[in-house]
Amino acid sequence: MNDDQEFELTPDERAAFARLPREQAPGRMLEERTVHALRAQGLLGRGRQTSPPVWRTWPTAAAAAVALFVSGIAVGQWIGSRTVAESMTAVRDRSALEAAAAVQRAGSAYVTALAALAEFADSTTNPGFVQGREVALTALYAAARELTQLTPDDPLAVAIRQRLEAFRSANGNGEAQDIHRVAWF
Amino acid sequence: MPAAIEQSDRDLADQVRLAGEEQAFRVLYRRHTPALYRFALRLLGGDELEADDVVQETWIKALEKLPGFRWDASLRTWLTGIALNTCRSLLRRRDRHWLEVTDERAPTVPGLPVGERLDLEAGLARLPAGYRTVVVLHDVEGYTHEEIAAQLQIAVNTSKSQLSRARRALRRLLTAGDAQAEGVDA
Repeated sequence: MNDDQEFELTPDERAAFARLPREQAPGRMLEERTVHALRAQGLLGRGRQTSPPVWRTWPTAAAAAVALFVSGIAVGQWIGSRTVAESMTAVRDRSALEAAAAVQRAGSAYVTALAALAEFADSTTNPGFVQGREVALTALYAAARELTQLTPDDPLAVAIRQRLEAFRSANGNGEAQDIHRVAWF
Repeated sequence: MPAAIEQSDRDLADQVRLAGEEQAFRVLYRRHTPALYRFALRLLGGDELEADDVVQETWIKALEKLPGFRWDASLRTWLTGIALNTCRSLLRRRDRHWLEVTDERAPTVPGLPVGERLDLEAGLARLPAGYRTVVVLHDVEGYTHEEIAAQLQIAVNTSKSQLSRARRALRRLLTAGDAQAEGVDA
């Protein structure tokens, strides 16, 4: 119950307060961002953790990302050819359902990585951010290419690929050179 | 869809708490986030990016604390309390004395054209955060002074005096254009 007696509102003011909207939908990306943050902290999905995360602060997260990136390149180059061959065999042996699940997991990891990158969006001159954005766009394009090869008649996949190709042409980026600038592992 | 088959907050929260069910969380998120977002946006003076962060942080804290939630209050009330605390932390980081508003720190309305009026939402956004918080909690959300005092960790009398000052400042803001048009020093 409101009980202020010292400076009363007029009836018009009360009515104006009562008319204020009580709800507003945020941007659609916020739901995905929140879900991914919760999953990353083990609060949603399998393997939930009960202890709070220790890597909440961005410097720690950034350091961990750099370490993961560097170690990933080293390990990837060392065992690259062998694991790719084995992986391809394993992929072929999977059912379509398992393959679809793998795509979903990869998509989630991609969106999570973009959300982490977005935390540095206010520092667009940062070379790491610029590189991250370029890699993200290249991955998006590569995915669109694969999708159109998978379903050549899918108008949505074709439209996405065409838009990305048009954008890259307009910006003077050749398809081949950009794709090969990225180390896939 | 008929309301009868709508799952209760408690059922959904149990699914999230016990099994980490993402779909159950999404239902809760879509049910409560529009109100949380509007609340945070209003408390933060219309800063959408910060309101986004507050909403996300609110859900993270809520899921962390969910095992300890006793359901003495509704989930919405509990979530709103978490959002308020998150906003408080943010406002305190901006200005350590954000709640200690005095008339000297009350806002002016630079450049408001003669005869033009602010609407209530814009007027609220221009109030100092300490004033705005008390007005939003009391006049928009319907909190009592005792509840405000408990939430903000201030004395009840402080809440009352802040509300009076805040309402006065808000009225000055909302009628500033009129006063200028009439040649009155607002």
